[in-house]
Amino acid sequence: MMTIAIWIENTPFFAYIRGSGYEFPTLLALHLVGLAFFGGMILLTDLRLLGWGLRGSTIAGIVNTLRWPKRIGFLWVGTCGFILAMSKAEGYFLNTFFQLKVTLLFLVFVHAMIFRPLVYNHPEELDKAPEIPGRAKLAGALSLFLWLSILTMGRSIGYMSSPGGLHYTELLKTILKFGRG
Amino acid sequence: MLVSNPINSFELVFPIMEVFHIAGFAVAIGVTAAVDFRILGIVPLQQTPSQLAKSTQFWMLGGLLVAIFSGMELYTSDPDMYYTNWSFLIKMACMVIAIVLNYTIHRKVAQADDTSGGAKAVAWISLVLWASVIFGGIFIAFIRGGL
Repeated sequence: MMTIAIWIENTPFFAYIRGSGYEFPTLLALHLVGLAFFGGMILLTDLRLLGWGLRGSTIAGIVNTLRWPKRIGFLWVGTCGFILAMSKAEGYFLNTFFQLKVTLLFLVFVHAMIFRPLVYNHPEELDKAPEIPGRAKLAGALSLFLWLSILTMGRSIGYMSSPGGLHYTELLKTILKFGRG
Repeated sequence: MLVSNPINSFELVFPIMEVFHIAGFAVAIGVTAAVDFRILGIVPLQQTPSQLAKSTQFWMLGGLLVAIFSGMELYTSDPDMYYTNWSFLIKMACMVIAIVLNYTIHRKVAQADDTSGGAKAVAWISLVLWASVIFGGIFIAFIRGGL
């Protein structure tokens, strides 16, 4: 696995991105700009599903209108994130927070597979109900939790020395030490 | 009596504050961008720009306050470095202009449901300014030279 990671990060393109110029921070900033713009759309969808905002609009209106912009945003953020990760593949692969971030992204995929047939593919049915159904609220709450966790893990990647990184146990020790003051 | 700054005394405080800082900015910029996209017609939501701005103003202000207060905490960790960093100064300038724009011209445009060429220009300026705030924030760690 590490041999592949080292090979990937040393291909001319990813080595260029990792270089001493401003390519890496520019991509990182574009990653975060996309996250803010795209995250706003996720937030609007989740708030509407939870009934915490945009009540003047139907659930179907929000879900259907934001579907494609969110997909484009995901592509934008994902492409930048992929290039960033591959340019420092060895360090990222060994980084616990990166591993957690990828796990959470997989859970986003699982979330989509579960709630697409139940919520997102038939939002008109949710509008017909007298109250927002529990499954829609659950989908919104889980989505918010997952994306906020991804943001937290993403930011935390930079605080872990790599390669080698900080193992789970080391992280736990640090948290316990902090808790004891 | 000298009191050490907790942000420098405990290694987890800075990253936790930074997570709040980024989450706050993501929420504030995200909902503002949604209003801008609505004015630009990129995201044709049912709600008019004024309705959208009204229903997201709580999240905009909440996100902004979280970002500003956590940002002030982060600043205290190394004021000399931040104060003399060009990227930080550009970020601050763009943020002040973006906030002033948001609560003046941008608000008027949204409240009037204006989607004319002028309104679209305001929406673009708003998007560019908020994107510049993010770029400024990221480049603080990569710019070594300063004032």
